[in-house]
Amino acid sequence: MTMATTPSKRRPAKAWTPARIGTYAFLLSAAAFFLMPLYVMLVTSFKTMDEVRESSIFALPLLPTVEPWVVAWSSACTGLECKGLQVGFWNSVQIVLPSVFFSILLGAINGYALAFWRSRFANLLFGVLMIGVFVPYQVIMYPLVRLLSSVGLFGSLPAIVVIHSIFGMPVMTLLFRNYYTGIPQELFKAARIDGGGFWRIFWELMLPMSTPILIVATIMQVTGIWNDYLLGLIFGGTQFSPMTVQLNNIVNSTFGERAYNVNMAATILTSAVPLFIYLVSGRWFVRGIASGAVKG
Amino acid sequence: MGQIQHRRPVHWGLHLALLPMAVTAIVGYLATVLWSVGVSFTSSRMFANTNFVGLEQYHKLFASERWQLSVYNLVLFAVLGISICMVLGFLLAVFIDQKIRSESVFRSIFLYPYAMSFVVTGLVWQWMLNPEMGIQSAVRRLGFADFQLDWIVSQDKVMYCIILAAVWQASGLVMAILLAGLRGVDEEIWKAARLDGIPPWRVYVSIVLPMISGAVGTAFILQAIAAIKVYDAVNSMTRGGPGLASEVPAKFILDHLFQRGSIGLASAASVVMLLTVVALLVPYYYLRKHQAAQQGAKA
Amino acid sequence: MHALTKRGLAALVAGMGISGAALAQKAEVVHWWTSGGESAAVQELAAAYKAAGGTWVDTAISGGDNARNTTINRIAGGNAPTVAQFNTSLQYHEVVLEGMLNNMDAVAKEGNWDKILPEPIKKFVKVDGHYFAMPVNIHNPSWFWYSKAVLAKAGVKAEPQNMTEFFAALDKIKASGAIPLALGGQAWQEGILFNAILHTSGGADLYKQFYSSTDGKVAQSPAFKKVLSDFKRLKGYVDPGSPNRDWNVATAMLISNKAGFQVMGDWAKGEFAVAKQTAGKDFGCFPGWGAKAPYMLEGDVFVFPKSKDPEVIKAQQLFARVATSPAVQVAFNAKKGSIPIRTDVDMGALDICSQQGVAALKDPARHLPAPTQLASPEKKGLLDDAVTKFWNTDQSVDDVAKVLAAALKG
Repeated sequence: MTMATTPSKRRPAKAWTPARIGTYAFLLSAAAFFLMPLYVMLVTSFKTMDEVRESSIFALPLLPTVEPWVVAWSSACTGLECKGLQVGFWNSVQIVLPSVFFSILLGAINGYALAFWRSRFANLLFGVLMIGVFVPYQVIMYPLVRLLSSVGLFGSLPAIVVIHSIFGMPVMTLLFRNYYTGIPQELFKAARIDGGGFWRIFWELMLPMSTPILIVATIMQVTGIWNDYLLGLIFGGTQFSPMTVQLNNIVNSTFGERAYNVNMAATILTSAVPLFIYLVSGRWFVRGIASGAVKG
Repeated sequence: MGQIQHRRPVHWGLHLALLPMAVTAIVGYLATVLWSVGVSFTSSRMFANTNFVGLEQYHKLFASERWQLSVYNLVLFAVLGISICMVLGFLLAVFIDQKIRSESVFRSIFLYPYAMSFVVTGLVWQWMLNPEMGIQSAVRRLGFADFQLDWIVSQDKVMYCIILAAVWQASGLVMAILLAGLRGVDEEIWKAARLDGIPPWRVYVSIVLPMISGAVGTAFILQAIAAIKVYDAVNSMTRGGPGLASEVPAKFILDHLFQRGSIGLASAASVVMLLTVVALLVPYYYLRKHQAAQQGAKA
Repeated sequence: MHALTKRGLAALVAGMGISGAALAQKAEVVHWWTSGGESAAVQELAAAYKAAGGTWVDTAISGGDNARNTTINRIAGGNAPTVAQFNTSLQYHEVVLEGMLNNMDAVAKEGNWDKILPEPIKKFVKVDGHYFAMPVNIHNPSWFWYSKAVLAKAGVKAEPQNMTEFFAALDKIKASGAIPLALGGQAWQEGILFNAILHTSGGADLYKQFYSSTDGKVAQSPAFKKVLSDFKRLKGYVDPGSPNRDWNVATAMLISNKAGFQVMGDWAKGEFAVAKQTAGKDFGCFPGWGAKAPYMLEGDVFVFPKSKDPEVIKAQQLFARVATSPAVQVAFNAKKGSIPIRTDVDMGALDICSQQGVAALKDPARHLPAPTQLASPEKKGLLDDAVTKFWNTDQSVDDVAKVLAAALKG
C-alpha cells in the first residue's frame, strides 16, 4: 500500500456516458439532501419573524433582512446581558487553542509510543482508553469534578485543557497509532542505530513526517472542542464561558419567545469557525487520512 | 527482529511519555468507571453515598420500561444508522473518486454537516420533518394533498427520523475516510481488472473493499463510538418523544444523573452499557489480531 | 425604563439601613432566565442590587436542568457561585442535607419572613427551622388560557365551571372549525395538563393524596381513574401536529385565533404581551373551575452555597434583602409574569390574571403545593414517564393506574 495519494485529475474530463450521467445524478441528489438543512438555516436567518411564522420553511424571504445576524452577534439576550454571541467568541478561541494543542500532542506521543516501542503496559493503557471512550462523558464528569477540585484546578483554563485532553485522548491516540504503524519500521530502526533516543526520534523524525495526520487531528479536535458546550460550562467557570454557552442561552430559552431567525443566524455564526476550517482544508483532510490513518 | 535494548534511556523517555496516558487511562477512565460501578451498588440520589443496596439499582433498571425501550432504540439506531452511513459513505467516496469536476465542492458539501453541532441542526431537522411546518406541508402545498411524512410524530417511526439526521451528519466523515483509502489503491489494479473484463462494481466489492479494510475498520469504530453515545440528536429533535418513543440509553442516564437526582440508577445503566461494549469489543479485538497475524504470516 | 427610579432605590436602600455604598459586594449569580422577557425581569433585580452597593456578576445558563446541574457540580468542585437559582421544590433539599448551603436566618428575621411568606412557600424554603432558600416569586404552572375571539365565534359564553362544561366548550370550538386545545406534545406540558385536570376536577385532596402517596392505593381509586379517562379524552381535542411542539408555539395558536384553550403556567402571559394582547380583552385566564379553584404555588428561589468568607456572606445577605424587599418584588414580578412572595405590596401594577393570583394567595384554603414539592425528583420522574406514555399510546386506564401505583410505592 503506497503512502502517496494519487492526484485527483490525471486525465482530461471523460465523455458523457450513461455511467457519467448516473454518477453526477447521484452526487447531485446527495448534495441536495446534504444541503437542505443549511438552506433552511440560511433562508430563515434572513427573514423577519412574521415571515417565519407565516411562510413555509423552504420559501425564500420576501423581505430579506440582516437584522437577525446583527442581533445574534451583538444584542441577543443571553441572561442579564443582551450583548449577543460576540462575548464568547474570544473565550472559545482561548479554550480551543491550548486544548487542541495539548490533546493532539499527547495523542501523537501516545501513538508513537504504541507503534514503535513495544510496551505491553502501553498497549494495556490503550485498551483501557478504547473501552473508556464508549462511556458518555457526562457519566464520568462528576468524579472528575471532585478530582480536579481536590487538586485545586477546578474552574480555570488549565482545568478545561486537562479535561479536553482526557476526553480527546482515545480517538487522538487511535489516529496517530494507526498513522505511525503505516510508517516502515526500517526508518525507526535506522534512527535507533544512529543513536536516537525516544524523544529525539519523535521530535526530529516522526513529528515532521506527520503533517497529514496532524491536519486531520486538528480539524477533528477544533470542531469537537469548539462545539463543546457542557465541559466548557462546568469546568470553565464564568471567565471562560465559550460561545456555545451563549448560543445555548439564545437558542434554548425555555420561557420566552423563540426568535427562530436569530437562532439560525446565531448557529451559523457559532459554526463559522469549524465550517471555515472544513471548507479551507477539506482537501488536506482527505489526503491526510489517505496517508495512513486508515490502517485499522 | 532484534531490538537494541538501551536500558536506562529507554525507560526514562518512554515512561515519561507514557505518564499522561497512564494518568488519563487510570485516573481519568479506570478510576472514574470504578467509582461509577461502586455507586451503582448504593442508593445514591443526588450525591454519592455509601449505603450499600446490592443489586437493587440493577433490578430497578431492568424492570424499567423506559430503559428497555432505550436499549431497543439504540440497537435499531446503531445497526441501521451505521449500515446506512457506511454504505452511503462508500457510495459517495466511489462516485467522487471517478475523476469528476468540482470534486472539492462536492466534498465540502458532504463534509460540512460534521462541523456543525447537533444542538441546532437537530432543531432544523425537527422543523423539516414536522408535518405542519416542514416537508409534508411544503409538498402538499405543491398539490400532492395526500403526501404524508409524519414519522416524527409517530410512536413507531420516530427513530427513523433520528437515523436520517444522524446519517446526514456522519456520512461525510465515512466518505472522507473511505475516499482516502480508495485513493491509495493502485491504478494498476484497475488496469488489470479491465484487461480481465471484470465489471467495475465487482472490482469494488471483491477486490478494492478488502484492500481498504483498514479504512473501513476505522470508519466503523468512529461510527460505533458516536452511535452508542447518541444524545444530542435525540435531545434536540424529539426530546425522547413522542412520549418515550425515541428514548436512548445516553439520555436515560443523563436524565437520571441530573434531572432526577438518581445517580445510583444512572451508574447502573452506565455499567450495563459498558459491559455490553466490552462484550462486543473484546471478541472483535481478538478477531482483528488474528486477522493481522494471518496477514503477517502471508506477507 | 425601570419601575424604580434610582432615587427610589437609594431611598429604599437608606431605609434598609445599609451604610455606605463603598462596599461593593460581589455576587456571582447563576440563573436560567435567558429569554427577552426574563432578561428584563432579572435586570430589575440586578439594578436594585447594584443600587444597594453590590456588584452583580451574571452567569446565565439556559435550561433549568443545565443550570441546576452546573450549580451542583460547581458546589462539589469547590468553585460555587455566590447565589444560585432553583425552583421552590425538593430539588435542593439533598444539597441542604449535605450541608452545602448557608442559611439566611439573619435576613429572614430582619425581614420577618415568618409572617410575610405564604405557608406552602415557607415549607420549602425553611428546612429544619432554618431558611436555606430565598423565594423570589410565585409561579402557578397550571392556568387555563383562552382566546376570546375563538370562544366567541364558537358560541362559548362563559368560562367552564366544571369538567362537563369544559368538554361542552371544547366540542363547540371543534364544531366552529378551530382547534379546541392547543398543546405542545412534550412530557412536561402533558404533565401540566394532567395536573391541572387532577386538581381542578379531581380536587385538591385527591391531588395531594396522589403526589404524597407511598402505598399507591389512591391511583387505583375510582375518582382517580375518572381523572385519567377525562385526561385521555382531551386528546381528541388536540391537533395531530402537537408532538414536540414548543409551549410558546402553542400559545401562538391562541394568539392567532387558531386555537381555543391552552393549559400552561403564568409565564405564558409574556407571549401575549409580546403580541400586544391584553388580558380580559383578547385573551382570558383562570386558574381552575370556579371562584375557589385551588391555586398551585411554585416559583423560583435562590440558594446560597456555603462559604465562610465574610465578604461572600455579606454579598449573599445583601442579595436576600434586596430581592425580597417590597419595591423590588413588585418591579421584578410585574416583568416576570409571576406574583410577589409577599402580600403586603401594592398590586396595582399587576394585570387581571396576576390579581386573580394575588386574591388566591390571600386565601390559604386555596393554596396548593406543586408536584415537585410533594414528590422527590426521582418519583416525579417516574410518574411523568407514566403519564406521557399514557397520553401518547393506546394504554388503558387500568394499566396506567397500575403503573402509577407501582411508581408511587417506589
